[in-house]
Amino acid sequence: MLPLSLLKTAQGHPMLVELKSGETYNGHLVNCDTWMNIHLREVICTSKDGDRFWRMPDCYIRGILLSIFGSQMSLAKSDIDVLHKVIDKVQEESKTRADRKPPGVGRGRGRGREEGGGARQVKGIGRGGDDAGGRGMGGGRGRGTSSGRTGSSRGGRGRG
Amino acid sequence: MSGSRKETVLDLAKFVDKGVQVKLTGGRQVTGTLKGYDQLLNLVLDEAVEFLRDPDDPLKTTDQTRRLGLIVCRGTAVMLVSPTDGTDEIANPFIQPDGA
Amino acid sequence: MSNGSGLESLVDQTISVITNDGRNIVGLLKGFDQATNIILDESHERVYSTKEGVQQLVLGLYIIRGDNVSIVGELDEELDSHLDMSKLRAHPLKPVIH
Repeated sequence: MLPLSLLKTAQGHPMLVELKSGETYNGHLVNCDTWMNIHLREVICTSKDGDRFWRMPDCYIRGILLSIFGSQMSLAKSDIDVLHKVIDKVQEESKTRADRKPPGVGRGRGRGREEGGGARQVKGIGRGGDDAGGRGMGGGRGRGTSSGRTGSSRGGRGRG
Repeated sequence: MSGSRKETVLDLAKFVDKGVQVKLTGGRQVTGTLKGYDQLLNLVLDEAVEFLRDPDDPLKTTDQTRRLGLIVCRGTAVMLVSPTDGTDEIANPFIQPDGA
Repeated sequence: MSNGSGLESLVDQTISVITNDGRNIVGLLKGFDQATNIILDESHERVYSTKEGVQQLVLGLYIIRGDNVSIVGELDEELDSHLDMSKLRAHPLKPVIH
């Protein structure tokens, strides 16, 4: 499951977003794009130290500045259930997408799923083993994570 | 997937000629009237006012301001845009006993 | 495009993530992508301190942005369950300096 698909599917749901600066934003996710830029509605912004709060009707946040999304909005059981439904939905969607892929054509795009899975099962979950398997299959090298900005110190998390 | 491919997530058109609050990377915070924008999020703000920051903690803003007038905010530095209309400081809305 | 990070084998397992700001988040790896954005389910943060035991904050379902991920490690649940968190003392990690 891809983080971005989860985010897409989570549209309309309440969530917490933490910026690298340490500020947190609680609101309903209206929209997000492939850069993880997000649009929140009915937002409560909490300062880094967690002692000042602002309400704003709307806000747009640059993806590159985000650090964490959470469902922490409220830990009510019902909310968590909703989010698990979201997860299930994403999983279903990605499954149907995988099913749609004609067999044998999957080659071009990275390592074939079944092959990889098979190799892994034989080798167990040892890190070295898996690495070797991955490389043997000719998977392109990973790109390093993108540069990122100065880390922020831990910050007030929406609940003071 | 739903219709937002290249489109920006937030439609800034509805903020034109309205007050917006912009936070920039590095911690600067500016409000002004949105006069124009492009898809890179470069913004033109009129009657812009910058909130000066606490010299001890540059991530904290104070109530002191300085007037900037008509400015362009470089899109690459824009980290957050929100309308000033309806934005207010409020009391802690999370007062719940289950504090973490 | 293949995911070079090799996290496939850890999907649905409990992993421990250390973020650039020195936080330690533990949860079930539900997904990831090329940028090492990570989906963690049933996650909690472990807050270390020299004065008291390890605090565990429940976080729930989290997406951690790849830029903010320093270290991803598997967690031996068996071993972990034997730890007495209330007795552990440790210095909190410092943030990464770029």
